[in-house]
Amino acid sequence: MTETDTNLIEGLRQQSPKAQQQMLDRYGRDVFAQVIRLVSVTENAEEVYQDVFIKVFKHINRYDAEKSSLKTWVSRIAYNEAISFLRKKSAPMVYFEDYGDRAEALSDTEVDETFGHANQETVQLIRAALKYLPPEERAVITMFYYEEMSLKDIAYVTESLPSTVASKLSRTRKKLCRIIKMLQS
Amino acid sequence: MNEDKLKALLQQDMNLRDAIRQEEAERPQMPADLNARLMQKTHPQPLPAKEGGKVRRLWPWLVAACVAGVLVVLLMPPRETIGEKDIVAKVEKKEEKKQESKPEAPLKVEPKVTPAAPAKRPQQQRKPVAPTTAPKQLIAQEIAPIEAGNKQVTVSDEPTAKSHELTASTKTKMLTERDIPITRPENYKYTPEEIALMKRQANEAYLKWVELELEIAKHSQEQTAQKD
Repeated sequence: MTETDTNLIEGLRQQSPKAQQQMLDRYGRDVFAQVIRLVSVTENAEEVYQDVFIKVFKHINRYDAEKSSLKTWVSRIAYNEAISFLRKKSAPMVYFEDYGDRAEALSDTEVDETFGHANQETVQLIRAALKYLPPEERAVITMFYYEEMSLKDIAYVTESLPSTVASKLSRTRKKLCRIIKMLQS
Repeated sequence: MNEDKLKALLQQDMNLRDAIRQEEAERPQMPADLNARLMQKTHPQPLPAKEGGKVRRLWPWLVAACVAGVLVVLLMPPRETIGEKDIVAKVEKKEEKKQESKPEAPLKVEPKVTPAAPAKRPQQQRKPVAPTTAPKQLIAQEIAPIEAGNKQVTVSDEPTAKSHELTASTKTKMLTERDIPITRPENYKYTPEEIALMKRQANEAYLKWVELELEIAKHSQEQTAQKD
């Protein structure tokens, strides 16, 4: 942890408005992006965003620097708040579900070819397919491919194990591939 | 699937990475005032500070108002003097009126009236100035014998002297606010002294009137004598 992070955490523990403003400036955009990825509606995302940082400021004493970085700790709170919001207030959505054998039936080569070869048409298909994923899976795949977080950090954010995250990633890749095939057909 | 393999996938899945990047780029941006709103929510501006500001703005006006009030109290003349002045003016006017109506005044007050009797009914005596027809008749009856028996009635200098003394006594007496019956409610009832004073003034006026009549009679007699 850097010296600035230490000073920031110390300021947050003293409920310093300056430190809180610094925290918002540093991590606000990432948190909002993470929240709106899950919640979608801007007004709801704003509500969740405010709840996230109120919680961060309130429970800063619970932060353990040995377990994670400050950013990961804030991401974990944001992820949990967004998922809680979806469970409480969002209308139930029906997402694409794989039925075991059919998803597994796709070969690794086929999946690698779909995602590997640069093709603008496939990119658009993947974008369309991403909309069929449940929010949790979409969050995990975005954390891995876009934010380039480690399995350990993703596991910390989603409160699971790294191996579980790894298998979830593998399954989501195949699921996306299956959705693309479905969209193509 | 171990982490190394996943890292390789991260580099390999170009299409997936591009798709996610494009999706993220198209997501709505964070509102610019969201952090400000959050800070306002987290640290609401304390009301006492605002009130303090208002007090700071108000206190010069309050001080100015207090100073103005003190100045008004110090510089204004006392209420008593104002009241006395007004009352003095009223008294003077009433005295003038009384002097003007002195020849007619005896019409109302009879010299035979005892001072004890009217004290019981002060409200009836509150309007002594109001002219009525009955006293005029009475006085006319009284005047008639005086005129008829002018020679019989010998007017000595004594009554005039007495009247002069009375006028002197009344002149020396200062009329106060208490002497004016209308000004204060406690003066609705006449005191015996006031009734006596009024009677004395009435007698005095009556005697003056008699003197005047006698002089007129003498003058007319002299004129008729000269004619004869």
